[in-house]
Amino acid sequence: MKIKRATIHSYWLMFIATVITVGIVTSSQLITDRIGLLLDRQASELLAADMVIVSSNEFAGDYREQARKQGLQISQSVSLRTAIFIDDNPRLVELKAVDESYPLRGKLERAAEITGERTATTEIPSRGEVWVDTKLTQLVGTNLSLGEQSLEARWLLTYEPDRGGAIFNLAPRVLMNIADLSDTGLVVPGSRVRYRMMFAGAQADLNRFKSWLSANLKAGEEVQDLENARPEMRQALERTRKFFALSIVLTLVIAMAAIAITARYTANQEAPKVAMLRAFGISQFSLLKYYLRQLGALWIAATVVGVLVGWFTQFPLQWALDGWFGRTLPQVYGFRPYLTASLVGLLALAGFSLPYLINATATPPMQVLRSGGNRRSWMRGLLISGSAIVAVFVVLVILMQSSILAVATLALVLTCALVLPLILAWMVKILLVSSRRRFWLRQYLLSRLQATSRGAIYVMSGFSLVLIAILLIAVVKDELVGEWEAQLPENIPNYFLINIRSQDVDGIRSFLQTHQIEASTPYALVRARMSQINSVDVDKIKFSHPRASHSVTHTYNMTYADEIPDQNKIVEGQWLNQNPGLPQVSVEQGMAEKLDLKLGDQLTMTVGSKVLQAEITSIRSVVWENFKPNFYLITEAGLLESFPQTWLLSALIVDHNKADLKQLLKTYPSITLLDISELMARVRAIVDKATVALQFFFLFALASATIVLLAAIQTGRHEREIESSLLRALSAHTSQLYRVHVFEYTLMGALIGFFSACFASLAGWAISVYFFNIEFQLSPAVWIYSLVSACLVLTLAGTMVSRRVYNISPMKILRS
Amino acid sequence: MNQVGKTVDTPNGKLDILVNISLDVKYQEAVVIKGASGSGKTTLLGLMAGLDQASNGDVILFGENLTHQNEEQRSSIRAGKVGFVFQSFHLVQGATAAQNVMLPLELSGMEDAQQRAIASLQQVGLEAKTDTLVEHLSGGEQQRVAIARAYATNPKVLFADEPTGNLDAVTGRQITDLMFHLRDQSGTTLVLVTHEQELLERGDRQILIESGKLLTN
Repeated sequence: MKIKRATIHSYWLMFIATVITVGIVTSSQLITDRIGLLLDRQASELLAADMVIVSSNEFAGDYREQARKQGLQISQSVSLRTAIFIDDNPRLVELKAVDESYPLRGKLERAAEITGERTATTEIPSRGEVWVDTKLTQLVGTNLSLGEQSLEARWLLTYEPDRGGAIFNLAPRVLMNIADLSDTGLVVPGSRVRYRMMFAGAQADLNRFKSWLSANLKAGEEVQDLENARPEMRQALERTRKFFALSIVLTLVIAMAAIAITARYTANQEAPKVAMLRAFGISQFSLLKYYLRQLGALWIAATVVGVLVGWFTQFPLQWALDGWFGRTLPQVYGFRPYLTASLVGLLALAGFSLPYLINATATPPMQVLRSGGNRRSWMRGLLISGSAIVAVFVVLVILMQSSILAVATLALVLTCALVLPLILAWMVKILLVSSRRRFWLRQYLLSRLQATSRGAIYVMSGFSLVLIAILLIAVVKDELVGEWEAQLPENIPNYFLINIRSQDVDGIRSFLQTHQIEASTPYALVRARMSQINSVDVDKIKFSHPRASHSVTHTYNMTYADEIPDQNKIVEGQWLNQNPGLPQVSVEQGMAEKLDLKLGDQLTMTVGSKVLQAEITSIRSVVWENFKPNFYLITEAGLLESFPQTWLLSALIVDHNKADLKQLLKTYPSITLLDISELMARVRAIVDKATVALQFFFLFALASATIVLLAAIQTGRHEREIESSLLRALSAHTSQLYRVHVFEYTLMGALIGFFSACFASLAGWAISVYFFNIEFQLSPAVWIYSLVSACLVLTLAGTMVSRRVYNISPMKILRS
Repeated sequence: MNQVGKTVDTPNGKLDILVNISLDVKYQEAVVIKGASGSGKTTLLGLMAGLDQASNGDVILFGENLTHQNEEQRSSIRAGKVGFVFQSFHLVQGATAAQNVMLPLELSGMEDAQQRAIASLQQVGLEAKTDTLVEHLSGGEQQRVAIARAYATNPKVLFADEPTGNLDAVTGRQITDLMFHLRDQSGTTLVLVTHEQELLERGDRQILIESGKLLTN
């Protein structure tokens, strides 16, 4: 009876560790599959068509004609950003004007109010009305000023097919009829407007049209179809998948380590039984079959429970990710996530526990007479380690779908697995050496931590990993982002005013001066694309930098200036006004490095249908974080001022000036206001959600680390009982026994907390200096949190589980 | 001990481990208890030392009746007055010889534990091994450390449970000689459990126990 109870108990811990393994994989696989399903199933809805041409300029008429010839349906939309006022507070919105045919695929959904029924519709906003995003629900039924027009906010727009990920569209949406757009006066030459022409029809017709387009597409126009639709979304999915795979690696490794420790304990418990059975003539093969059946049953039970746990835990994750992709994630009905999770569970169980059980079945029958233990040869040690490494590697390949990434992660895991225990053991040794005058209590505790039979070092390593991961997230999220914000000068601009017409510049400057609003120098914006470098077409040049291709296809905002802008520094060459008369351009340093540009190079830029050439006469460094207008390319007035342009400036608008903004926008309706603080708040909200998702996985990791602790306590239980019995025989009181156990776990917690805070602070320093390029501020909060949480968790969990030893009888020592 | 009995509950009902045990151990006496396996000798030792509680009868140690005392109270009675030597040594692994000897001294609140520990180790001939981890000592050396630990508190009574059970014959004789030599030096009362005839003959008094009853006293 006692043996059976002990066996069930030892399997119980292995069971929980396997449940955690299966659960975490189920949860992450479900979420990534649901995201993938959203994109795959709704690819055409994401375009609202079968094919789309996208451009920053209006389309020529022949596209429509050609498309009609091919029998395609056609629709058009125009998108731009503008500002509306809500209670005297400006709010940036994404305005989209659509025609009667929109959308060609999928349907719009609208509701009368936020709690009202959402209905799909084939209608679009009528003339004189708009539909607003659910974030602007308070505006429904009111009139909205858009430029020079006042339009009624008639409906709530609850769904539009080609909205894309909300993460990429920070501003709420406003949908209007395209016929009303020109009356608003918001679209002016040089405005940042996105034109989309959408097509739908039979595949053959689309193919013919696409062939015609490839020969007739103009510069700056891009074709999107189902194959390359929303690359930013597909990239986001891939990144999300890898992100989750990496996050759960830590949890999985600790859970698998828990399986290993519990398997070792079970094997040790089973060894005497095996010796006895072998003495009676039962073969090793029969015993192996028996244990395989046990493991099989455990795997099946753990898979069922783990899948259920994982299924339920996807919902907190879904909540954390809600809003990232624009609508609710669709349900997954396939079996793949569950099969993957059960396979990972099997691999973990087999890889980590099987070698121990095989070792147990090899217990020599002589052990019934003389308990010498089943000595572990180096071969067996190799089997155990090798099996574990292979299991981890295969699991990583399955989850990351990349053997290279799996190898890199495995190398990192192995390094941590080797280095962490060494560092922690070294810390204990240092403390041991430091004082030897008294043995009880401190030296006694430290010698207990050092004893390998207790596995304390491995428990500490597991918890340290979890705590380091949690602290790192906190350090990066709150400390670095917060510190970065705190280090910004107080009077940095908080608004950008863009889309300013040339004829309005002086008036706006005068307005800002009159109302004592601090503003930067206004700069003209001319949109230009690079077509040649030194008379060679850019698409024929092989650049060495990996991001060069993005730079050459990018549409730049060029400007002109007599004086070098604030916080720009010439690193090579001379500023523009030193070389009058020569068509010249100043290039930003990072861009010059990416495109291998040097002084004297000739750049050819295309502005609309015109071409301009200029020689690079200076290379500048730019402080991008100063929240002032900054430019990659600056030239002189003579080269650009004849091109269509809008202007921009940055301003510091404090609370008492906000009412003046309304007046400014009334007077100059084409202006768009970009609220930097709102942008930063939204970025912070996205970071917060990502952090919640990450921390959710680390709860699993914490559960795994606790299992490691329980397994270690279980493994060393007999030794603890004998020691407690000995202490009692030597006249220790119950209070002394309490103290030694409480202090043991508290000391473990203190070492874990100290080490984790050190590591997180060091990593935080490295990230500050080398990644964010800011001064690092040591945070006492990280240390306090680390020490307190580690001590609390270890002390509570450890003392609760080992409470039986407090009242152990001293007779146990005589009977042992 | 006066009409002491020890009964335990088993799945098959109550089992009498000891029945009507009455004996006296005099001050500075060396008593050797011999019995076959399962005779109850270990239980008897435990009751005498206050490690266990009798089911009936009186166990009086240093004038205190242990029968109705709880473990805390019995521990207080033992503190500083009772030493133990076990068959399996039961030293704290990962600690040095000196640290093992210091343990009961510090638990009892003695200030000069380290000096006393070193002195005790000198007495058992291990002055050169004070800083050696006990797992690096031979079986005989470990038992010497255990003896040093037992004698370090200058106990009034030393209880030894098969002290030579895990040692070879030569080492066992050396350990026995050492224990009796120290006993002669310090005047400690010695109560020793064994199944070895040779050890039985070293005692001032022999007690034979069988099936929970005393055969001779």
